[in-house]
Amino acid sequence: MLSEKEKNEIETELKQYEHKRAACVEALKIMQHSRGWVSDDGIHDLAGILGMTPDELDGVATFYSLIFRKPVGRHVILICNTISCWVMGYNQVLRSLNERLGIGLGDTSADGRFTLLPVPCLGACDQAPAMMIDNELYGDLTPEKMDEILGKYSWERD
Amino acid sequence: MITVTINGKQIKLEKPVSILEAAKMTGIKIPTLCHHKSLEAYGGCRLCLVEIEKMPRLQASCTQYVTDGMVVWTETGRVVEARKAMLEFLLINHALDCPYCDKAGECDLQDLVMKYGPAAGRFTEGKRKHPESYDDPIIVRNMERCISCTRCVRMCSKVQGASAISMVNRTSKTFVEPFSGGRYNCEYCGNCINVCPVGAIMSRLHKHTYRPWFIEKTVDTVCSFCGVGCSVTAQIRGNSIVRIIPESEKGLNRGLLCNRGRFGYDYISNSGRLKSPMIRKNGSLQETTWSEAFMYIAQKIKEIKEKNGGAAIAGVASGRCTNEDNYVFQKFMRLVVGSNNIDSIAGFAYAPARKFFEKIFGQGVTANPIQGISRSDGIFVIGGDPTAINPVLGLQIRAASQKDIPVATVGYAPGLKGFAANRLIPKPSTEAALLAALLTEMLKRKPLPAEKTPFEEIIGKIQPVSLNEAESACGIASGEISACVDSLSGMTNPALVIGRDIIQRSEGQANLLLLAALAQALNGRIYLSSELPNEQGLIDMGCLPDMLPGGRPVAVDSFRKRYGEFFNAEVPSAQGLSLMEMVEGAHSGNIKALYVMGENIAFNIPDNKFVKDALSRLELLVVQDIFTTETTRFAHVVLPAASWAEREGSYTNLEGRMQHLKKAIDSVAGLEDWKIIAEVSKVLGVDMNYRDSRDILAEIAKVSPLHKGVTYEDMDSGECMWPYKGEPLRHDLNIVGIDMPDMKALLKKPEKDKVYIGVDKVLFHSASLSRNSFALNSIYSEPHAKIGKNLAAKLSVASGDHISISTGAGAIELAAVIDSDMPDNIVLVPNNFEGRGAFRVMGWKMNAAFKAPALDGMEAVLKKLERVSAEVSE
Repeated sequence: MLSEKEKNEIETELKQYEHKRAACVEALKIMQHSRGWVSDDGIHDLAGILGMTPDELDGVATFYSLIFRKPVGRHVILICNTISCWVMGYNQVLRSLNERLGIGLGDTSADGRFTLLPVPCLGACDQAPAMMIDNELYGDLTPEKMDEILGKYSWERD
Repeated sequence: MITVTINGKQIKLEKPVSILEAAKMTGIKIPTLCHHKSLEAYGGCRLCLVEIEKMPRLQASCTQYVTDGMVVWTETGRVVEARKAMLEFLLINHALDCPYCDKAGECDLQDLVMKYGPAAGRFTEGKRKHPESYDDPIIVRNMERCISCTRCVRMCSKVQGASAISMVNRTSKTFVEPFSGGRYNCEYCGNCINVCPVGAIMSRLHKHTYRPWFIEKTVDTVCSFCGVGCSVTAQIRGNSIVRIIPESEKGLNRGLLCNRGRFGYDYISNSGRLKSPMIRKNGSLQETTWSEAFMYIAQKIKEIKEKNGGAAIAGVASGRCTNEDNYVFQKFMRLVVGSNNIDSIAGFAYAPARKFFEKIFGQGVTANPIQGISRSDGIFVIGGDPTAINPVLGLQIRAASQKDIPVATVGYAPGLKGFAANRLIPKPSTEAALLAALLTEMLKRKPLPAEKTPFEEIIGKIQPVSLNEAESACGIASGEISACVDSLSGMTNPALVIGRDIIQRSEGQANLLLLAALAQALNGRIYLSSELPNEQGLIDMGCLPDMLPGGRPVAVDSFRKRYGEFFNAEVPSAQGLSLMEMVEGAHSGNIKALYVMGENIAFNIPDNKFVKDALSRLELLVVQDIFTTETTRFAHVVLPAASWAEREGSYTNLEGRMQHLKKAIDSVAGLEDWKIIAEVSKVLGVDMNYRDSRDILAEIAKVSPLHKGVTYEDMDSGECMWPYKGEPLRHDLNIVGIDMPDMKALLKKPEKDKVYIGVDKVLFHSASLSRNSFALNSIYSEPHAKIGKNLAAKLSVASGDHISISTGAGAIELAAVIDSDMPDNIVLVPNNFEGRGAFRVMGWKMNAAFKAPALDGMEAVLKKLERVSAEVSE
């Protein structure tokens, strides 16, 4: 079931388009924003509102790698995984994240705090190596900076 | 005029087509994997690349249209090199398991790689892995073989309108999946299997049972399930059908089929088929020889005829039998037995509706081509869900809707949800009020021309019904009704698709009159849904108590005389009994003998108990069938018949198209129905002298004015439509005997707290025949009772809970399925499963005008059963 808030936000989006299905990506984003990810039930509910079949909407949802169809941690770390960052020390940064969080790419930490995902280019080559946590960009990364950055997202700060 | 040169061949075209099509016209084949002629051009696979002079790059010929003066080369070195490269890309991930894959031998990819392809790829990376999915009973998916051409997905969404599968994920991990990966839970039309160019989506039914090159012969024939009559090709190996595929080039279905037609054929090889004639001895049916059975029947018929007269004998024909069978059957009943008591299930709805419309508009008014539906400028559906009754006809409606042609549906038609712009769901049995209001409003906006034909005078006498009156009767807001009128009044030549639910009512005739008036006001074409493959043929062949072959009324002396003279015999003049009257007659003792050809009357007629009671009183019950049924259990003689695939003949579909049914395999035990009857007739002293069905058709072509000179070759050559080669019987229209409906009575509301039972037409089943199909049972194995959400809430029933449905006639227990679109006070139960059919608990009232059962107002009491609920999916 969609929450009232989700419903209202989606209704607002629907008004912008001639065809309901045109709002499907926005609707998926709204649901992900409020729940962290989009479940099968969520797809069913959204498909109903958008006048699509669940399969059609699932095709859209799975096409976009930033729409999560599996549960993710509280914060999602997107680590830039392309040439500039490789050159500038991606490996060390990734290893330091692996060690600190105890997870590899695509995993969620045991405390449910972080999910680590590779992303093909954040467009921040000038600050390589770079990563993004939620909507915050962090550049010129070194293993030494990690404690401070991750500390911002610790339980105590919530 | 456009002149194009392809590979040096010059062709002239009236209008621009794609290069691919133009090449095809000149006999040049351009390879493609993603293009399919049922689908729109896609341009995804890049195999149809061609070289066009003056264009620097290679172009996809499926999306590039020809222009005047264009010069195209389809097999240059550049083109061949490009195709080779494309195939090398496709083979990066395509599993090379051809020796194991059933598609090998008819695989487009395999053929192309053999022709163009690289012998070895240069990619050293491993192939993607994805386990073969056996989650579904019918469809196996092997996504390692998928080449992402999206034909299946486009077929499912654009043609079938189901959108049950989609491409999920991206890049090399893109697969075709039904939602959440498990069972398809779709309409199981199997059209995705048909368009898959590789072995990614395949039928599970014949997996690893044969290879394409093992097929010994193929037979082009007609489907045996509904009144659409799709063309199918049966592939045969060792006297059994291994697969049914649609004919892509001809037939009205143009390469499409439904689940019944594609998968349901396996009933013919069911081990439960009747294998030997049986006679009742000492209370039980015992195997006997054909000759003994013929002697017994002839002897009994002779005795009863001598003692009680021919009118004490009645015959039931079948919409599953061919024209030839039905023709011989009525000839036997009329000329040998001396009785006009011939009818069939078609007499319940299809025949009376057709007769009614023909009385008003003239013969052949319901014979309209199905392909015309998607080309009309509006569609009005009432009385059933065409996507379940006649699925391929239903696709025409969906196709129209996708072209933004307005569709209006009246009644619960779940298959058209999302396709109908106007969806009116009235309370049970209140359609008349709604129709009258629609008509009244239509006439206000588009008055009839003032020339006053007899029918327009009748329309003028129909009492007007206001929107408010209709609203209070049928429960649909007047605004919604008037919105529907808005949409209707924009149509200039709409298609009206009419189902049996609206006809099998006490007010059936009023409904038909209102529909006829609406058809007149809208200038509409009428299509009658037909559940059996040869309901139209039953009428044409004279399997009606009041009609001779060719639509000639028995009551007219000159027709009867001419028909009698032809055979040098006398046609009885006494009015025959309808099927329901026969059953009543058997119950009351007036009918002593009943000859049933291919119909399960103890199950397919409402109030099974009454019918069985009637059957048990007969002195002689002869049943010809292919299975043991509820009816054969009461028979004195049971004769095994040949199935649909084991006989030659013709079917006439709901458009009036005659199609040639060909013998695909040899019958193991059964005989053709006509042959059995001819043998009985011979023992009774009348030798019908037919060598094969051709002789019968030749006789029909002489006797029936509608079938003059028709032959199987005419049918094979394609269009063999009404009135075939014969004469149309456009007689002077003399519209008499139409009762004007009493609108006041029709506006009465159904009583509030009562729940009524109705018949659910299930997409996956067809009367009592389909229960013998392993495939269809694996899709839909258990009957469910469908109820609306308010009724469910009142009973505190959730989907899957068991409920008991009891009426005066008895009770059945079924799992409930909740559909929020259903009206509140109705429960729908399918009539397909032994012991749990709707007609077991449904009663009937005689509709005097049609002499057929009316099924409205059948009250039922629903109760929730406390037991562990089984998981039920719709």
